[in-house]
Amino acid sequence: MMITDEEKLLDQAFAEMTAQDATPSEGLLNRIMMDADDVLAEAFPAQVATPEPAQGFGAALLDAIGGWMSFGGLAAATMAGLWIGVYPPDIVYDYSADVWGDTIEVPLLESDVFAGLDG
Amino acid sequence: MSQTEHTLSDADLLSAFATGDRSAALELTQRLTPRVMGQAYRLLGNRAEAEDVAQEAMMRLWKIAPDWDAERALVTTWLYRVVANLCTDRLRKRGRGVALDAIEEPSDGAPSVAAGLQDTARIQALRSALADLPERQAQAVSLRHLEELGNPQIADIMDTNVRTVESLIARGKRALIAKLSGRKDELGYDDDHG
Repeated sequence: MMITDEEKLLDQAFAEMTAQDATPSEGLLNRIMMDADDVLAEAFPAQVATPEPAQGFGAALLDAIGGWMSFGGLAAATMAGLWIGVYPPDIVYDYSADVWGDTIEVPLLESDVFAGLDG
Repeated sequence: MSQTEHTLSDADLLSAFATGDRSAALELTQRLTPRVMGQAYRLLGNRAEAEDVAQEAMMRLWKIAPDWDAERALVTTWLYRVVANLCTDRLRKRGRGVALDAIEEPSDGAPSVAAGLQDTARIQALRSALADLPERQAQAVSLRHLEELGNPQIADIMDTNVRTVESLIARGKRALIAKLSGRKDELGYDDDHG
């Protein structure tokens, strides 16, 4: 069978198109692997380790005190202590009076405290 | 994608992936993606679109892994079919023609600016003419002359017989020649063959 000029030209065009660089990018290869990981994670949830999220100082501190639940208890206890300090119930007042004695008032900012110190 | 140079076949690796072996997915990705990407890029002429098609085709491969029947088809045959269909869908959405803004400018490796542009014009013309062919003809011609597959494998990919493939290719090439012959001067063929 005789090959015509047109067929040669067409074959040349095919060859040029085939020679084009179509190398897959690193990004594409990574995305394809991420898809594979997603499919694996769905099929085998116990086997695929989920990567640890990046931890900042705050997150590390929170972990050190036992997480958000512990932080909530700590916050409640702190607020209770503050409340008792500002408005102590009678039992606390009476106990401190027994231990430390009655309270006395010292007028630190009144002028007669410093009167004798003047030259 | 010759399987003789690999210890494990594509089907073996896909089976391993289906049992949770991530390294099998890595090997398949490295082995199959270049061919998948190349087929998509040659048909679409746009790298971003070709990457989308390649990613979608590989995603379908991961999902079908648990149900893969190695007796039914080669993994590569199945992928050629998936990529061809995905590209056909995209070309159909474009209105069969290849939009000029979908075609990238040449990157590097051109012997000169003028020659590079002329090569791109030829490739654009061929891609556009391919996209205007009836879908079955375009698939058969591109699998034969761009992917350089044999007619029996093309028949498997297109789920038909070899005689039909031969007929589709012959009619497709005649139509391409008819479309391109009117643009010979414009496409610079005389410069190279005069």
